[in-house]
Amino acid sequence: MEPSPGGGRRYYYRMLSSALGLVPSQPFSVQPNGRFEKMDGDNSTTDASQLGIAGDYISGSHYVLQSQEDDGDDGMNDNEDGIGSKDGFREQDIYLPIANVARIMKNAIPPTGKIAKDAKECVQECVSEFISFITSEASERCHQEKRKTINGEDILFAMSTLGFDSYVEPLKLYLQKFREAMKGEKGIVTSVTVADGLGDELTDESFTNQLPAGLITADGQQQNVMVYTTSYQQISGVQQIQFS
Amino acid sequence: MAGSDEGGKMLDFADSRQVSLPISRVKLIMKSSPDVNNINQDALFLTAKATELFVQYLAAYSYKKGSGRESKCLTYHDLARSPEECDTFQFLADILPKKILARDYFKLLEEKEKEDEGDGEETDDSD
Repeated sequence: MEPSPGGGRRYYYRMLSSALGLVPSQPFSVQPNGRFEKMDGDNSTTDASQLGIAGDYISGSHYVLQSQEDDGDDGMNDNEDGIGSKDGFREQDIYLPIANVARIMKNAIPPTGKIAKDAKECVQECVSEFISFITSEASERCHQEKRKTINGEDILFAMSTLGFDSYVEPLKLYLQKFREAMKGEKGIVTSVTVADGLGDELTDESFTNQLPAGLITADGQQQNVMVYTTSYQQISGVQQIQFS
Repeated sequence: MAGSDEGGKMLDFADSRQVSLPISRVKLIMKSSPDVNNINQDALFLTAKATELFVQYLAAYSYKKGSGRESKCLTYHDLARSPEECDTFQFLADILPKKILARDYFKLLEEKEKEDEGDGEETDDSD
């Protein structure tokens, strides 16, 4: 089996291969850290020494695609350590930080519940798989419509296609809230307010304050200089700072 | 991606307020899919948020199915059962293999070899 989930490409090839028909997998060994890797050759399974830690759990059964088609060039048969490259497509397995994942899991189960370490790691991998899953589907739709950028609609569509339609409505709400919040932030940052006085009490918001100031320059001439102040203490000819 | 400033702002915003997963990492994973060019801000946010929901769902579901055991601990085993019990998790079937003891696996292999040999003999017979 393909023990270490990678990015979307792994899923992509798997989809292809499962459409072509599954073939029993090669055996693989368990590394001391619990992750497993494919083993070389065909008949090395009965050699206990190659099987990591005898008596421990190893995964069994189904899966893996030894695709006989051209796609077989993907190197499924290669001796991978899970972080290999198939024809240069595969990148290093990318996961979301386990701390974040674990925190979300913790919030989902009763407070008295605990989570096994391998369960956390496993969900971490599932998450990457999920993201790739959704992205592949959304990307396909995007291409069908001859667009180059995946937008929110594609994602939502992918979710409902893949059986997560219960997420769609809540997600739309979240998106709405998110957009409003973003706009709100922008609003604060670009608003122009006039401060009461110079200097001492600068608020967090940017502001422009025009003060005529008379300066006597070195050569004795008096000049009227406009001083513009902002929360960033910039004194320059800039009248307004735009935050876009 | 368009609007890199916006992107930066969005990252800060997302991290601190609405989404507890790093958007940049989500983007990285998305981009590792084949044929993905650009990803809209909305799409990024939706994916990140959906991922959160997914984690909650998977954890809660697996925990519920596994409870009744005294340990009250969510284990790998609980997770591995989810693809067969819920259609939505079917796509995880490949990466959530059931675990078996090595000796059981050997037995399985031996049995399979015997089967194969048996088949071979039968098919070699010609009429």
